[in-house]
This record gives sequence, C-alpha cells and structure tokens, in this order.
Amino acid sequence: MALLELENVRAGYGPTSVLHDVSLSVPEAGVVSLLGANGAGKTTTLRAITGGVRWTGDIRFGGRSLRRMSTEDVVRGGIAHVPEGRGILTELTVDENLKLGSHLRRDGAEVKKDYDRVFEYFPVLKERRRLSASTLSGGEQQMLALARALLMKPRLMLLDEPSLGLAPIVVRAIFEIIKTINQTSNVAVLLVEQNARLALDVSSSAYVLEVGRVAVHGDSAELQGNESVRRSYLGY
Amino acid sequence: MQEFLQQVVGGIAIGGIFASLALALVLIYNAMGLVNFAQGEMAMLATFVAYTLINRGISYWIAFPVTLVVAFAGGIVIQRIVIRPVERAPILTLVIITLGLATLVNGLAGFLFGYVPRSFPSPFSAQSADVAGVFVSYRDLGVIAMSGLVLLAVYLLLQRTTVGLTMRAAAHHPEASRLLGVHVSWMLALGWGLASAVGAVSGIMVAPILLLEPNMMQSIIIYAFAAAVLGGIESPLGAVVGGFVVGVTVNLAGAYIPHVGGDLQLAVGLAIIVAVLILKPNGLFGRAAVRRV
Repeated sequence: MALLELENVRAGYGPTSVLHDVSLSVPEAGVVSLLGANGAGKTTTLRAITGGVRWTGDIRFGGRSLRRMSTEDVVRGGIAHVPEGRGILTELTVDENLKLGSHLRRDGAEVKKDYDRVFEYFPVLKERRRLSASTLSGGEQQMLALARALLMKPRLMLLDEPSLGLAPIVVRAIFEIIKTINQTSNVAVLLVEQNARLALDVSSSAYVLEVGRVAVHGDSAELQGNESVRRSYLGY
Repeated sequence: MQEFLQQVVGGIAIGGIFASLALALVLIYNAMGLVNFAQGEMAMLATFVAYTLINRGISYWIAFPVTLVVAFAGGIVIQRIVIRPVERAPILTLVIITLGLATLVNGLAGFLFGYVPRSFPSPFSAQSADVAGVFVSYRDLGVIAMSGLVLLAVYLLLQRTTVGLTMRAAAHHPEASRLLGVHVSWMLALGWGLASAVGAVSGIMVAPILLLEPNMMQSIIIYAFAAAVLGGIESPLGAVVGGFVVGVTVNLAGAYIPHVGGDLQLAVGLAIIVAVLILKPNGLFGRAAVRRV
C-alpha cells in the first residue's frame, strides 16, 4: 500500500479552482517528483495535503484519510512540509528554528542523534546556531529548512522547490543530501521542482501536472528517456 | 541631590507598574498586531478579584498568586469567546472590539463593586530604609522587587521554555508554525492569558497607591502606552525599559517642573508618546519596518 494517496483531488482558492483532478501516490520510503509549469498546481497540491487549502476527493496518509484535519494535526501525524519560501522563522535564531522541528518529540536520545546527523550534513548550521536565522544566505536557509524537517522525524517530506534561487553548486549539494536522507532514514519524499532534470535524477517516479491535472505519469528514468514528453512538458 | 535620588527611586517603583502593563500590551501586540485597549480594565477587574479574596480573610501572599491564575484563565476565556471569532477581521474591527471590551469590563466592575474608591492593602511596610543616604520606602522597594520578579519570570518563560518558543513562533509566523505542528490558535490564547496575568500584577501593585475603583487603570494605561511606544511596541525588553524611563520621567517632571504637579503628569505621558512618534517612530528597541521587494 502506498504511504500517501491522492484520489481525484480538486482544490482551489475561493471560487478559483486550481486542481481539477489530481490522483497520485507516494510509496513508503520512495521519492516522487511532481513537475510542471508555473501555475500548474504543484504548490497547491502540497498545500492540499497539509490542509492549507480546501479540497475535495480523498487524501490518505498511511491508510487514514486526512479529510477535515487541521494543518497542525496532519503535520503531527508524520508529514514535514517545507513550503514555498522555506518557512524559516526569521525572528528566531537558527537553534530555535531547529528546536521547533523537534519540539513535539519525546525520544530524547534519538533527538540528540538526529541533531548530530543534521550538523554532520550541514556543518554551517552548527557554526551559526546562535545567530538570527535572518542572517543566513538563501542556500543556508534551505539547509535549515531541510534540517528542521528532518528533526521532525517524519515519514514523508513535502519539498517545495528546494532549488529555487540557489546557485547550481548549492543545489547539487542539497539534492545529494535529500537523497542521503531518503536512503538512511527511510523518509518518503514528494518533491516539487521546476528543475525537471534534477528532480528526475533523484526520484524513482514522477507526475507532470498541466493546468491542475496529471498529464503524464511514469518511472523517472522512462520519462527522462522519452523525448516527446521531455520536449512538451519538461522543457529540456 | 538626596531628594532627587528619592524621586528617582519612586519613579522606578511606579515605572515597574507601567512596565508590567506595557509588557502585557506588547505580548498581545506581538501575537496579533493589535493594541488591546481593554488591558487596563482587565487588570482592574483582576485587582477586584484580589480585593475580594483578601477581604474574605485570605492572606495577601495566597490571594496574589490565586488572582494571577484567575486572570490567566480569564484572559484565555476572553480570547476564545470574544477575540477568536473575529481573529481574521480587519484591524479596525478588532480595535473597536477591544474598546467595547474595555467599556464592558469597566461597567461590569462598577455593577459588581460600585464606584466608591476602596483602600487596598500593601504587604510592605510604609516605613523607609536608609540606603546609602537616600531614604527609600519599603513599599517602593517591594514594588520594584515584585515587578522585577514578574518581568524576569516572563522573560524566562518566553526565552527558555519550549512553550515560550512556540508562543513566539506562533506570534511572528503563524503559517510556518502550523507546518511545524504548533497549535497556533491555542498559543494566541496562552498569550492572552499571560498578558492578562502580567497586567493583573500592575493592577495589584498600583491599587494601594491610587485606591481601587473601576476607573483606576485609566491613567495607568496611558503611561503603559507611552512605555510600550517608547520601547518600540513590539519589543518586550523595550516595554520594560520604556516603563522605567516613563516612570522616572513622570515622577521627576511632577517634582521639578512648575505646575506639572499631580494634575499635568498625565500630559507628560502623552507628550512622551507624541515625541517618540515624531522623533523615533520605531522606538528604542523596535525595528524599522523594512519590506524586501
């Protein structure tokens, strides 16, 4: 059974409908990309999952429907959502941001190990622990967002354009770590990306959205090899 | 010189009272970008609770913490019943609602307890101690110590505990906090509870000086506004520093500027508000409102 399943999800803002019919699934510990042009509904799909936008149809996580659940409760159920713009609390320090990731956990010893791991992945965060998160660069803020998501010990991470606005070398590093996190902690990842080539490299399957519907769906390797799909939907 | 120092100490004592109420204003301003005009009235009602308890023969040192707990619960109830349904309303609606709340609480206190001023006990002796040549009353010292303790407790709660961290997170970034599993709405309610309890301290501290009656806090809230604005309205530390600065300034102005005396002291508070808004609109500790585009 899939960890996350969306079935005929429709969602929108007020009278404007953004998602018309989206069905997709993310397997346990799998990495799935969600691709598509601007305005196709990628971010809205993620927001529907964590209850940031009203939806109809069904969304199930670990077999349980998320219908009518508040954002807080969905998140507490094991979904870490790194939103568009990274969701860094810039009024707080780096350390406080990390603490907000782990604040609901009661497994103290494990939390400590996870901190060690996080600082191993992102040594720069350790150096800047006491500084205000607003002093971090864009790449460092993305690292902080990922680190904080990892400290939530989720079963599923929703990542909204982790490459946005970052230098190519930073993007590479961040994607390497996304891969490592997925492999070492068995966290499933639903990855929204504009950079289709990069996303297909790390994911095992992919969905391409077009104007609120799933236009194409398949193995990442297959989509990469299919030239007509690449040209018409992925733009490279 | 000696008299001057005595006035300064008196100013610090009254400043601690302003600081507590200013801190209450800042706590709610941070949580919802709103100045709670009912803060003073809520503090006054809490002081009546303390008065009732003490009048029943309960010791001051038991009545005090019990009142804070009652005020805390009352703040939460007000947030849940009055504020929460209109949380997303335009700011002007919220302002009108807190003004209405102030009138309501004031009227309620008048209805329950009447408008006759009542004397309220102070647990500290009225005698003075000689501190390095300056005569300082134990009352002033007691008020300074109590407000200092309360402000320290609030600081530790907000800065050193997980619940304080989630309260700050919810106040500054509600959307991002929800995605981290923070129950934002309840954190706002806790903020109201905390503000209400801190405000109650100012009421209980000022009641022995002013006599307790439903309009007791109406001048204090002006000084608290002045303190909060001086500190930068969103900075808890600023509110505390602002409280002490306003207290000392008002006390010195009353003592040394001819004709200010007791009647025009309130005008000094207003003058501070106007001066800060003209000269340094972000206050001492406030950040300039910078928007990145």
